[in-house]
Amino acid sequence: MNKNGKFLIAPTLLWLTVFFVVPMLIVVAVSFASRTPYGQVVFNWTLHNYGRFLEPLYLSIFGQTLVVAFVTTVVTVLMGYPLAYYIAQLPKRWQQPGLILCMIPFWINFLIRSYAWVIILRAQGVLNTLLIKAGLIGQPLQLLYNEGAVMLGMVYALLPFMILPIYVSIEQLDHRLLEAASDLGAKPLTAFRKITLPLTMPGVAAGTILVFISSLGMFVVPDVMGGAKSALVGNLIQNQFLSARDWPFGSALSIMLAVLSLVLIILYYRTLQIQKGGADNAKDVA
Amino acid sequence: MQKTWRSHLLLAYSLAVLAFLYLPLVILAMYSFNDSRINAVWTGFTFKWYEHLLHNRRVLEALINTLIVGSISTVVSTSLGTIAAIALHRYKFKMQSTINGLLYLPILIPEIVMGLSLLVLFSQTRLPLGKATLILAHITFCLSFVVITVGARLDGMKADYEQAASDLYATPWQCFRYVTLPLIMPGIVAGALIAFTLSIDDFVISFFVAGPNSTTLPLYIYAMVKRGISPEINALSTVMMCVEIALVLLAEALQPSHKAKEQAE
Amino acid sequence: MKKLITLLLCTFVLLLGGCGGSDKPQKTAADGQEQVLNLFSWADNFSPKVLEDFEKKYHCKINYDVFANNEELLAKIQAGGSRYDVIQPSDYMVATMTKLNLLEELDHSALDNTKNILPALQHPAYDPQGRYSVVYTWGVTGIVYNKKYVKTLPASWNDLWNPAYKGRVILLNDSREVLGMALKKNGYSVNSKDKAELEKAVQDLRKLSPSVLAYDTDTIKQKFIAEEAWIGTMWSGDASFAHKDNKDLAFVIPKEGAVIWADTFAIPKGARHKDLAQKFINYLYDPKVSAANYEYIGYNDPNAKAESYHSEAFNNDPMLKAAKDYISKGEWIEDIGEALTMYDRYWTELKTGK
Repeated sequence: MNKNGKFLIAPTLLWLTVFFVVPMLIVVAVSFASRTPYGQVVFNWTLHNYGRFLEPLYLSIFGQTLVVAFVTTVVTVLMGYPLAYYIAQLPKRWQQPGLILCMIPFWINFLIRSYAWVIILRAQGVLNTLLIKAGLIGQPLQLLYNEGAVMLGMVYALLPFMILPIYVSIEQLDHRLLEAASDLGAKPLTAFRKITLPLTMPGVAAGTILVFISSLGMFVVPDVMGGAKSALVGNLIQNQFLSARDWPFGSALSIMLAVLSLVLIILYYRTLQIQKGGADNAKDVA
Repeated sequence: MQKTWRSHLLLAYSLAVLAFLYLPLVILAMYSFNDSRINAVWTGFTFKWYEHLLHNRRVLEALINTLIVGSISTVVSTSLGTIAAIALHRYKFKMQSTINGLLYLPILIPEIVMGLSLLVLFSQTRLPLGKATLILAHITFCLSFVVITVGARLDGMKADYEQAASDLYATPWQCFRYVTLPLIMPGIVAGALIAFTLSIDDFVISFFVAGPNSTTLPLYIYAMVKRGISPEINALSTVMMCVEIALVLLAEALQPSHKAKEQAE
Repeated sequence: MKKLITLLLCTFVLLLGGCGGSDKPQKTAADGQEQVLNLFSWADNFSPKVLEDFEKKYHCKINYDVFANNEELLAKIQAGGSRYDVIQPSDYMVATMTKLNLLEELDHSALDNTKNILPALQHPAYDPQGRYSVVYTWGVTGIVYNKKYVKTLPASWNDLWNPAYKGRVILLNDSREVLGMALKKNGYSVNSKDKAELEKAVQDLRKLSPSVLAYDTDTIKQKFIAEEAWIGTMWSGDASFAHKDNKDLAFVIPKEGAVIWADTFAIPKGARHKDLAQKFINYLYDPKVSAANYEYIGYNDPNAKAESYHSEAFNNDPMLKAAKDYISKGEWIEDIGEALTMYDRYWTELKTGK
């Protein structure tokens, strides 16, 4: 049986080795190199770039990015879960069209969708004009070019990565469990907390990881919605390659970002494993 | 009674989220009728961007390239990723955690680093940059997303059905084809949707691995930014959106068998 | 199970082969019958009509690919194998690429029309003999402001610091432009590598940053047209562009001096169609072609002989005129080598408010 297993996983592993591991080895090597005055890479095996990462300036950018990513993830769960739940309980024939309807906005170029948000939110924008006409405010609100706008943009960009995995999990939920719970006198909210939520946790976990990780590397949203006023890790890394021409430092930052994310994922799954015991209990009870 | 109250609230909330998703698209479609080249403020109504679009060979080429690259990389990454997810779910490997880590890493690495490193790889192996290199790169970054999404489905699946099938002397292939595959299908569809979405909107990685004659829509649009994105792009997006929605509805209308099936269930 | 995988692999190989295959016959046919010019440039940087005319006249096909940033261009060319014939690096990038030996020397005997280029642009600091590049689009970075809100005519970079404009100032999202502006304000060179001078400039910028609405290069025009911003730094060509949609906008080049910039034509080392590339460059400096082309682009025409073919509106455009009058006084942004790391650090500090 295990021979079959190896046979099945081999193509993917081979693929990732050729197109991911090998190029990444180059990146790791570059992260220990230095830049020449004209931005070329010289391999002198130094830890200098990792040393720079530890400076308070750059650490604070990492901290700031983690906060933004965390808030973004929480908001996407809150927005994505109910929608996914709604689609999953539709009659079977409407589920797929429902999902695709959620995805269509994301098949339009992200940049122009972001610019559309700017038109909606700016001082003379759609929203402010409506609010002023309705007499709710006297002066236009500054809705753009701040952290709130950055998070709104990120939530908007990453919502499908939350909706899809959660839908996948809810869709396979055995409704007899819920019926049993209700027969046993459980209130709907209790049933949701004790049965639905734990059993759909794999989807929430997958969605959380996809959203959290993707938001760490974002750089277009902070520029367009945040007016490029705050620096997040994505922008910092982008700058090393596209303006400072410091590939070694950019590589070191990227590796640190990857390592950090990996540690967070492992911690997250550990926590879930502990909770999973609880979920299995719920199943037994039901 | 209480149940309908709850479901109304859920419906209202879902519609609100959907409105959030579509609001920018409405604005975007509106501005495709705006007379100004630079699309900053409303200056007048016009159809001219739709006319221009018809004559813009380069935008249409870019659209075709995007769809070719997107569909091929979706099919390949979804197939490879699904098989890998099944293998990981069903078998124990010696280096399970290393393999898991390897599957997550492509998501964790910033796009620009992945793009540049692939550029170095392709130029070192003298692979000419073009559609083929674009597809190779897209498959690489879509793979992990598929594995994770399909994996989430498998994690929530009960082993009973597969067990029952093999107790009834189904061959492993029959077991896969008639039991596992239908059960995880929603996961595969979701994975494919994510892969397709990522591919057709990717700019950073695509830029580095594209060559002459393989400009995709995102590449074309991002490069336009310096001079101001032409409202032709709004027009194109509006057309695309309408076609997509029409296709979804059409596909639904053409599937009468569903209803019968549901009744049978 | 094996069958499925074999099937999948076969489809994959077929598909890859299929798209590789569809690429190749096209190319060989093109090489055999008509020549191909692989052009790598900024988007929307040519009048489509001008490109079509060139294709017809020289029986060739232009593959027009685009980039959005000089560093992306550099990475692509450095990696090699990208097969481009004509590229459009900006000023400082020409110097960098020359130093890295990535550019082919131009044969000026085949570029007769480039003699028409304004004398002030014939010998730019980044390529003094014009051996590797010719100026295509150029402009000056000055102050743009909205007359409705800015009542006193700005004359100096200092005016950006006026507290009356708090929250309405926009600066370009570019470390060299912003730090360069603050250096100029203090009377230093935009290419200063002196730590004390830079420190002074950064201190000034820290005072300015609470007033800044946004840092923006790409959609700065939209922000001024929609009157989100009142005053800020902008390229002359963009200012002219924005002025067409909002007549209250005006442009001024501050007394302390300003940056002049250019995007150029160059030919990368190993270009396969060097002859055609030179014909293309030469063609674009024909006065008539040039006039048609720049009317479309809306940036300053570097061609001295094109003026009579341009429309009156183009010749009298106040923004373009301001840039043209200033042409010999502007300072070019140069590649500053190691000091770039220092600039980037200050830039990051500025963005994080440290």
